[in-house]
Amino acid sequence: MAKSVGIFVTSPRYMRHVVGITKAAVAKGSKVKVFFSWYSTHLTQCAEFPALCKMDDVDVSICADSYKNSGYDVNDIPQGLDAKKMATQAQHGVIIDDYDCYLTL
Amino acid sequence: MSKKACFLFVNKEYTLDGIRSALGLAVENMYSYGVIMYNEFESISDYHKENIEWVRDMEGDIFTTVDANVEKLGLTKISLEEIGQKLREMDVIVPYGIMRSDKS
Amino acid sequence: MKLLNVYRSEPNDDVKKLVEIVSKDRDVVSFDLNVENPDYDKMLDMVFDADQTICWW
Repeated sequence: MAKSVGIFVTSPRYMRHVVGITKAAVAKGSKVKVFFSWYSTHLTQCAEFPALCKMDDVDVSICADSYKNSGYDVNDIPQGLDAKKMATQAQHGVIIDDYDCYLTL
Repeated sequence: MSKKACFLFVNKEYTLDGIRSALGLAVENMYSYGVIMYNEFESISDYHKENIEWVRDMEGDIFTTVDANVEKLGLTKISLEEIGQKLREMDVIVPYGIMRSDKS
Repeated sequence: MKLLNVYRSEPNDDVKKLVEIVSKDRDVVSFDLNVENPDYDKMLDMVFDADQTICWW
């Protein structure tokens, strides 16, 4: 069985890598978790973001505090997410504890 | 066994929220460290000071390569060589945010 | 200990120094993400094969 992959995203520059790595991992049979923090929450506005959230075997969440502190209204949930995915830094802990491979982008 | 994580902060705009992330892992029962490189902070809010204290209370620390941050914020000084040695002990290394433009 | 260093941009001198220290006496490979069309499939094979991956800025 393919190893699982956790991606902690802190840069707003690399959506193409987030999407590219996630697609490649899923194609290999991996389960993927992506957590966006701080200014990377700007990536929720990218056209690719909703499609990333919809991918099978991919769990996407964002740091709600980061989203708010980056200038957004936490009640304005990005397309692709629901309220449960407006989360806390505990999601980063989940990536480290529960996923086989750790990446930061 | 608790895992060890170290965040590397190289951009001023990303540092204080990054420390909040470091605290987040400390709360998740990990040994969590951060290193502020390059950037000097004149002062920080009580909220951010408390975050640093909480990281320390949970057996982590926030280091800096910048002397002014040692004097003004009471952070622990660390050299580049020492960062490298510390990183060798880590389970997780987080080069956080984006590299400051004049150092990339 | 198999270590994979991934570069998202051209590393500066400090990053190079840290990589040197972290990599010493370890089985080390690297992957450059800072290209037009990275081979993500190949990168993931390297990630799966490594004990630790560090994604430098």
